[in-house]
Amino acid sequence: MSDTTATAGLQGQVKWGRVRQSRRVSDKVLRVFATASTMVAVFVLFWILGMLIWKGGQGISLDLFTKITPGPGTAGGGLLNAIVGSIVLTFLGIAIATPIGVMAGTYLAEYGKGSRLADLVRFINDILLSAPSILIGLFVYVILVMPFRGYSGWAGSVALAIIALPVIVRTTEDMLRLVPNSLREAGAALGAPTSVVIRQISWRAAKAGIVTGILLALARIAGETAPLLFTALNNSFWFNWNLTGGISNLPVTIYAFASAPYDNWQQLAWAGALLITGAILALSIGARSLLNRK
Amino acid sequence: MSQMAVQDAPSAAAPNKDAKVCIGVKNLDFFYGSFQGLKNINMNFFDRQVTAMIGPSGCGKSTLLRVFNRIYSLYPDQRATGEVMLDGRNIISNNVDINELRARIGMVFQKPTPFPMSIYDNCAFGMRLYEKLSKSELDDRVEQALRKAALWDEVKDKLKQSGMGLSGGQQQRMCIARTIAQQPDVILFDEPTSALDPISTGKIEELIEELRADFSIVIVTHNMQQAARISQYTAFMYLGELIEFGPTTKIFMDPEQKRTLDYVTGRFG
Repeated sequence: MSDTTATAGLQGQVKWGRVRQSRRVSDKVLRVFATASTMVAVFVLFWILGMLIWKGGQGISLDLFTKITPGPGTAGGGLLNAIVGSIVLTFLGIAIATPIGVMAGTYLAEYGKGSRLADLVRFINDILLSAPSILIGLFVYVILVMPFRGYSGWAGSVALAIIALPVIVRTTEDMLRLVPNSLREAGAALGAPTSVVIRQISWRAAKAGIVTGILLALARIAGETAPLLFTALNNSFWFNWNLTGGISNLPVTIYAFASAPYDNWQQLAWAGALLITGAILALSIGARSLLNRK
Repeated sequence: MSQMAVQDAPSAAAPNKDAKVCIGVKNLDFFYGSFQGLKNINMNFFDRQVTAMIGPSGCGKSTLLRVFNRIYSLYPDQRATGEVMLDGRNIISNNVDINELRARIGMVFQKPTPFPMSIYDNCAFGMRLYEKLSKSELDDRVEQALRKAALWDEVKDKLKQSGMGLSGGQQQRMCIARTIAQQPDVILFDEPTSALDPISTGKIEELIEELRADFSIVIVTHNMQQAARISQYTAFMYLGELIEFGPTTKIFMDPEQKRTLDYVTGRFG
């Protein structure tokens, strides 16, 4: 009843045309700018993808996956050693970063809530998250390459792990924070100690999100070049599981081959770039669908 | 006596006058930081009786409930002082093992809280913590608990499925099963039906009536008819104080305090 009286009152007072013309114009201008900016961004993205597929696609062949990188002036060749090396370095990096990152994220979300130490760790983690990757490469160079007088696969993995770490810490914390407190209370109400509540309830509830974070970290380090330049460097020979020496990998190979004067090297660089992009895209889409499925 | 009061006429079984004291509360104060949430509470809860706690929002009834299993201890800025005696021990003193206490005093929350695991694992969660049971003993206890919670027939063929896939009412009964499977002395219900539809609410109320045979029950409710229907004793709280406590019949039909009468007849709250 009060509704109808209110409407009746408004009908007496409000006239059409109160919205000024300038408001409509500014609305339109903003809409045009926003749409145009989106189109520019998407256009650039598709340009890059298109060029990669066009130029890299020509280099996709069986040889790419079965032959190792060719020497200077040698015809043919493939990227087998670089592909295997990249996979080993990346997974080793994730294997180092995951336990540390998940535990640190768990500390931030579960134990350290509101504590000063947690605030400090979170702050430092955010800095690490945006640290230039070349800096991390230099850091690992100083602590793991110089003392041992040689580039090594281990050093490369550690550098990649340091880059993956803050991503995993952050997503783990965020995902655990999304777990409703009522679940923790319900676990505690049954007499479960905090450690059991975390392992059996919080982690389980946040599992999809935490795994997504790890996959995104994997995608992040798969294409990193700068930290590997100073650590794993490269190796033009067949991959031999010896992680104490330099290891060939896709990003550094692309870097070296793209700037070389040999046509087959440049072609391999394009093909390698397409491979990395495809792998990162697949990881990102996989991570996204994992999160949506939940 | 007003007409409104007649409408709320209690229909639950009469209190057992010989019931022993199960939880004894003496001079209990409770603080959220510097805010005092409970002021000098003194009352007894009786063995195998349903005690309802009523009062307007913010009156402290949930706070009092959360003292009994010390769930407030999860939050560093909350503390209680005074005496809450259970089986000869002051449970708010520091020399009580909180997890052991919580295994003896179960709690069912306002919103169903299924754990992200199978229905079976949900029900076995508490038992696995403190009891060494064989697979068949565990199976038996899970079945018993689900039968007592009137859920067995609905879930017996899908015990391995996730507990999150049940309806809200079923989830709440699963949470009750999970709690009674642990065979506690006391079960605390914190507005257990306020997130449920009327049919599920009816089932839970019937269930509480049946559970009274085995457990002491304390239930916080916003719904005065519910308190009248299922409880033997009722406590009316207001602004952190216990205004009146007594047999439900007396609180609803012939309260001593004017504030209680005003509240149960719907004049405020």
